Amino acid sequence: MLEIRNLAFAYSRAPVLRDVSFVVSPGEVVVVVGGNGAGKTTLLRILATLAVPDAGLVLADGDNAFERPLRYRRQLGYMPENPALYEDMTVKEYLAYRASLKGEPAKRVRRRISEASEMCQIDGLLRSAIGRLSFGQRKRVALADAILLRPRVLLLDDFLSGLDTSMRDAAGSVLSEAASFSSVIVAGHEISDLVKCATRFLVLRDGIISTSIEAAGVSADELERRVRAALAGGVS
Amino acid sequence: MSAISVTCRRTLSRARSLFATVLAVPGFAAASAALFAFRLEAAEGTRQTIAVVWATSAAPFLPVLAAFLAMDVWSDERRTGRMSLLLSTAVRERDFVLGKALGVWLASAAAAALSLVFALGSLAFFAPSALADVRLVAFGPAMFALLMQSALWCAASVAFSAMFSRAFAAACASVTALAVLPRCLWAAAMLWSSSGRPAFGEMPLDAQVADFAAGVVSTGAVVTFAALTAMSLFIAAKCVALTRFSGRRSGKWRFSTAVAMALSVALAVSVSVLAFRLDETLDLPVGNVVTFSQRMRHILSESSGRVAVTAFLPRNAPLFKPVSHFLRTLKRQADSAGGLTMTLYFVDPKWDLGAAERLVRLGAKENSVVFEKGHRSVVLPLDDSFGDRPVASAIQRVAMPPRRRDVYWTTGHGEAAFDSYGTWGLSDIARELARSGYRNMTLDLSADKAIPSDCALIVIAGAKESFSRAELGRIDAYLKGGGRLLVMMGQPGETGVASILPSWGIRPVVQPLVGVRTLSGSDVIVSDFTDHPIGSQLAGSRIVLEKPLSFASSAVAESGSGADRLEFSQVARVGQSAVAAAVERGGTVGSDLAVRPTRIVAIGDPSFVLNGQLASRANANRDFFLNAVAYLSGADTFGSSGLEVDALSTGMDRDARVRFAIVTVAGLPGVVFLLLAAVAMRRRRRG
Repeated sequence: MLEIRNLAFAYSRAPVLRDVSFVVSPGEVVVVVGGNGAGKTTLLRILATLAVPDAGLVLADGDNAFERPLRYRRQLGYMPENPALYEDMTVKEYLAYRASLKGEPAKRVRRRISEASEMCQIDGLLRSAIGRLSFGQRKRVALADAILLRPRVLLLDDFLSGLDTSMRDAAGSVLSEAASFSSVIVAGHEISDLVKCATRFLVLRDGIISTSIEAAGVSADELERRVRAALAGGVS
Repeated sequence: MSAISVTCRRTLSRARSLFATVLAVPGFAAASAALFAFRLEAAEGTRQTIAVVWATSAAPFLPVLAAFLAMDVWSDERRTGRMSLLLSTAVRERDFVLGKALGVWLASAAAAALSLVFALGSLAFFAPSALADVRLVAFGPAMFALLMQSALWCAASVAFSAMFSRAFAAACASVTALAVLPRCLWAAAMLWSSSGRPAFGEMPLDAQVADFAAGVVSTGAVVTFAALTAMSLFIAAKCVALTRFSGRRSGKWRFSTAVAMALSVALAVSVSVLAFRLDETLDLPVGNVVTFSQRMRHILSESSGRVAVTAFLPRNAPLFKPVSHFLRTLKRQADSAGGLTMTLYFVDPKWDLGAAERLVRLGAKENSVVFEKGHRSVVLPLDDSFGDRPVASAIQRVAMPPRRRDVYWTTGHGEAAFDSYGTWGLSDIARELARSGYRNMTLDLSADKAIPSDCALIVIAGAKESFSRAELGRIDAYLKGGGRLLVMMGQPGETGVASILPSWGIRPVVQPLVGVRTLSGSDVIVSDFTDHPIGSQLAGSRIVLEKPLSFASSAVAESGSGADRLEFSQVARVGQSAVAAAVERGGTVGSDLAVRPTRIVAIGDPSFVLNGQLASRANANRDFFLNAVAYLSGADTFGSSGLEVDALSTGMDRDARVRFAIVTVAGLPGVVFLLLAAVAMRRRRRG
């Protein structure tokens, strides 16, 4: 379980996150939405320990992520907004490199690559050089990297942008499958695609979680309408 | 597989596809090969080993190589945003830094090894004789020194790469801080303090490489480089970790990181100071650390009796270990020679007060070595010149019967002066004569005086103005009375000296000689010595003559009989031309009838024994001159080479040198460039 408690962060004097608190249980897919500059990427960077908060805690199963960062990162899968990959490598080489870097034993690397590539539909790209892939294909490779070792916390920043329609349609099943082993937090703008797989929406505004919308028992259309309303300023 | 090895392999793999590598590695090989070719010629006839020449040629370019290999290892990750992907994994920053530094260091080591392969391969092809006695293990300490320095350059370059998001900026900062700044500071310090260079010698970085390559390993240097490397890696890791701190509290984190970096610098400096205070110097048996000249061996075997050698210096003095090592090795050499019996004493001026007082009465000062036999003693100061040559002279002077010999140097005709200490003076060679028991005197032939009766020989050292008829007459009369003359002439016919030589059997030939074994051609390397006493012991050595003259026998040579017979001898040759010649009149009857034979030795320009020449080249010039003086003064017993037996010799002529330079500087690095470019293009095309 991932618990975020009273998180605050500011670049210089401009506060981005003021008091952000929420809990993500295993099996949940939490989608963080908000306008441009609302702090979604900053929030995910903090959760990925790439930025140190000014205040607040990030607790993974009760352990402070910033006090025991290596232990926390071992459970972490992170896909940044603009994943920059090594263009001189093939997809298979890249995933093997990332698996080794994350400490996966060599004998299990091949199986991990096979599972992740199947989930992200990049089986046919494994021998392709990354430099020759399209932006969407690279996103899928980055997603495969993030879920490669079946992390317990999966952070996906704007992962649907640049993906084609078929992959967007498939994103729901990818996230659902990832939720079977992870607490998933997604930041993004593609509400109509994300309502298909999200268990909860968090609306980030003025540095706080202004609205939390549960998806359970609500139709996709209704969920999308509520989220858009919350984003527009109304409370549902 | 650990994160360090994964990162290291990735760094190496990526280096193959970078154009920086394609340029840096062949560039390094070409630059070090150019310096190697240049230094190899300068080292001809010196005690330097091939390992020393190679290592000191490669070392200056290692910081530049490291800067180019490491310039984008972090800056590229920062610029592209891949840093986020790396730092979100469960790997410590220090492991990333170690892996990347290790990868750069391995690439750097491969380039250094390539440079060695090129040097040895080319030498094996062009100058196989230079490698005749060379063992590969001799390059071990040299390679160790380069890798040790390279580790620091790579770690520091990785740190610079972590500080900049532009690879070019990182490379510029690395090259400036690691290569340009230290050398500029050193040059400025030497300019500021004119006495600095003789006091400190070469730049410490270069001197360390030379020492290690010669087998003299300093534990202080090893610890210092290890400490500085660790410090650089720590700073690099801290720079990487700083990227996590971008919020309002980043100032606090940056301050604490800066404090940590400052503490690491202070710790590294403290460790370095301590390491040099407790420095141990190891002599590895790979270079010719202590070898003795033929002259020394000859003196030790031909002398007899017991000589006491006392080293008068504190036991904690920096010189104590090398001096005691030298003297103990000398004693072993003396014991094996079977002539002289040598007893060693070590007197500490602070503790052995009785012995110290006795040595002071002998004229010894602290930091000197005293040689004693009976009532005779010679005190040698432990200065830069201490070594085989002055020790051999000292032993000769105490072990052999004393014999006063005065060498008269003509003056007043623009000759080089024996009491001039400048580059164009002869003070160095005059000091050698004094050490060997000669007294240097000035001879003014213009004064209407006879040549002193105690004159062992006259030296004319490159007169530029004409001798008067009366002066030439005095020299001629002196020679007719069994005199001895060493004439070093500029160009024949200018001073009149050449006019008296034909009547003594020597004829200077106006024929320019061009050195085919030097790139300039104005220096001629002479290694063909006849069996004349002056050169017979110099076999295997070489002398370097600048603007040499050749000499032939004149019509009167080999004429006459008995005491009037003139014997002309070639002493040293280039092809068929004698660049040094000797004439003796009455030599064959000297021993029976007590006739002092006249002897003349003629050599070309005196520049071969000027201070500047003797300082820059440790060839056999000095010995050749001393042998000529010894022959003329009748003390030709010790005409052995003072040059160490393992002097560097490539045997390449000028054409071979040019071909060697072309192959090592352009050919082989060019092939490497093409290969690396092909690999990089292939990988890039794939991407």
